[in-house]
Amino acid sequence: MAQMWITMGPQHPMTHGLWTLRVKVDGETVVDAEAELGYIHRGVEKIAEARDFTQVTPYCDRLCYVSAMTWSSSYIYAAEDLLEVEVPERAEYIRCIAAECQRIASHLMWLGAYGPDVGNLTIMTWALREREMFLDLLQELGGSRMHYNYPRVGGVKRDIPPGWSDRLIAKTKLFEKRIDEYEMLLDESTIFLVRLQGVGYATAEEMVEAGVSGPNVRASGVNYDVRWTHPYSVYDELDWEPAVEKPTSVKGSDCYDRYRVRMEEMRMSCRIILDAIEKIPGGRNTTYANGDEMILAKAPTRAPEGATGFSNYECTRGASQFYIQGGGDGRGKNPYRLSIRSPMFITIPFVAETMIGYKVADIPAIMGSFDPCIGETDR
Amino acid sequence: MHVSREQNESATNDAVTAAEAAWGALGVTAASVAHSSGHGYAFLRLTVPAAHVVTVAKGLKHDLGVNYCSMITGTHFPDGGSDRGWEVVYHLMRQPVRNPEPNTSHVLVASELKGHDIPLEVEVVVPLPAGDEPTVPSVQAVWKGADWNEKETWDLVGIRFDGHENMHRVLNPHDSPEGFHPLQKQHQIRYHDFNEMYDDAQGFVRKPVDEGRVK
Repeated sequence: MAQMWITMGPQHPMTHGLWTLRVKVDGETVVDAEAELGYIHRGVEKIAEARDFTQVTPYCDRLCYVSAMTWSSSYIYAAEDLLEVEVPERAEYIRCIAAECQRIASHLMWLGAYGPDVGNLTIMTWALREREMFLDLLQELGGSRMHYNYPRVGGVKRDIPPGWSDRLIAKTKLFEKRIDEYEMLLDESTIFLVRLQGVGYATAEEMVEAGVSGPNVRASGVNYDVRWTHPYSVYDELDWEPAVEKPTSVKGSDCYDRYRVRMEEMRMSCRIILDAIEKIPGGRNTTYANGDEMILAKAPTRAPEGATGFSNYECTRGASQFYIQGGGDGRGKNPYRLSIRSPMFITIPFVAETMIGYKVADIPAIMGSFDPCIGETDR
Repeated sequence: MHVSREQNESATNDAVTAAEAAWGALGVTAASVAHSSGHGYAFLRLTVPAAHVVTVAKGLKHDLGVNYCSMITGTHFPDGGSDRGWEVVYHLMRQPVRNPEPNTSHVLVASELKGHDIPLEVEVVVPLPAGDEPTVPSVQAVWKGADWNEKETWDLVGIRFDGHENMHRVLNPHDSPEGFHPLQKQHQIRYHDFNEMYDDAQGFVRKPVDEGRVK
């Protein structure tokens, strides 16, 4: 039978952003696929060379529009490595809690977008409803719904507001019950299961070989997580363990396993939040003034030439890494070179290969299950 | 629960010893360096001459179990002298990942990890001589994950990867002029202050003729 190329994207409901998937089909079967990226390349790495270290943070917020807090935190850890700053313990706790709130909000956005992909519209409204609770919490911290610009080199912008910890605990406990509701809706929906189970197999070893990381690897039965292999922040002091799934086939994890692991990760984030807010030094009902030494350490503004900083951070989609070389313009006030490693940039070409052998109708289910975000992919 | 500092240090020191024994004669230097942020975990830093990149990469993968290529960074140093006009930095990881049997999971317990199962972070620095054609051998055949990292580094910085198959633009438009690599330092970017932004939000006046103009 004649084979032909189909172009899906840049405007296509499957893409979750602007990119193109070109698939070669033989009847209904995908025989070849390739990804084309770069539609929203903003040149953040170049822009950062003309900004000082504080001014780079908002650009890193905008790398991923559903997970701003984790991306700016990741940048901050690299800048702190470069500038050799010691961060107050309380600030680390606040960052950890904020990042876990963001992880929940990001996974909820994924769930809300993935539901309609595979024929379940109800979950979209439910997931976005609960996402709003966590966006409200983050808004109280950073002042904005989406791009917080909250972490600082040496700490955080401001302390948790009065009463925030009570609202956080109440909302997290409520949300833990809501996850059960999602599972009642999805795990008992035949349409949902038929679309997800048995498609998009990928084994752990081949994913690591290809550079895939994060929840996608944990879905195939390995608990590798940067938060315990190279702990940053306060994850080594908290009671938690990485969410991990048991794949049912020798072919590795399918889309259903990747859905399951994200649900478990949201539960685990709730556990981390509830544990961290109780252990926070200085007390959870105290609010320190802006710039207090409990939440913000003094940091140098210049980095000498030859100094380098690197951060390895468990973002919501995998390991996000920043590599900074010091000694740029303004006698070291700017980074000379800022390099960003986006987990999805590596994952999307791998997913395109994974699709070979499946039907055209499976493409949205497979693509969505890896949680693509094009903001960080194109930078 | 987590990988301890002692495990991290012993793994890094073992890797330094192994790297010096294997490639010391090739001009490779190895060191254990500690991060300043996070919890100060150490990583292995190798400085490798460009000619031996593939040898070292194969050794890292097959003898030291470094199975994950996470990032490749190219940097242009127009003032760096003739020996270091360019630099390529590889960030690699050792991840103790095995496929589990069906219906089980391969849950790693940090305190039981030993030897080559301890997660390790590796930074490989490759200085390149100044010139118009910075070239390093491709490691695409060693780690599949290096493929798109190398594409990106060529696209943005203009480092050539010898032996890379199917090299093409990934972030810049496919019809970008040949030789246009925006992260090279001859392409200038300057800071526009807020006055300028208000006067000319669309940026019509901000053209190369403005270069160096102080408002």
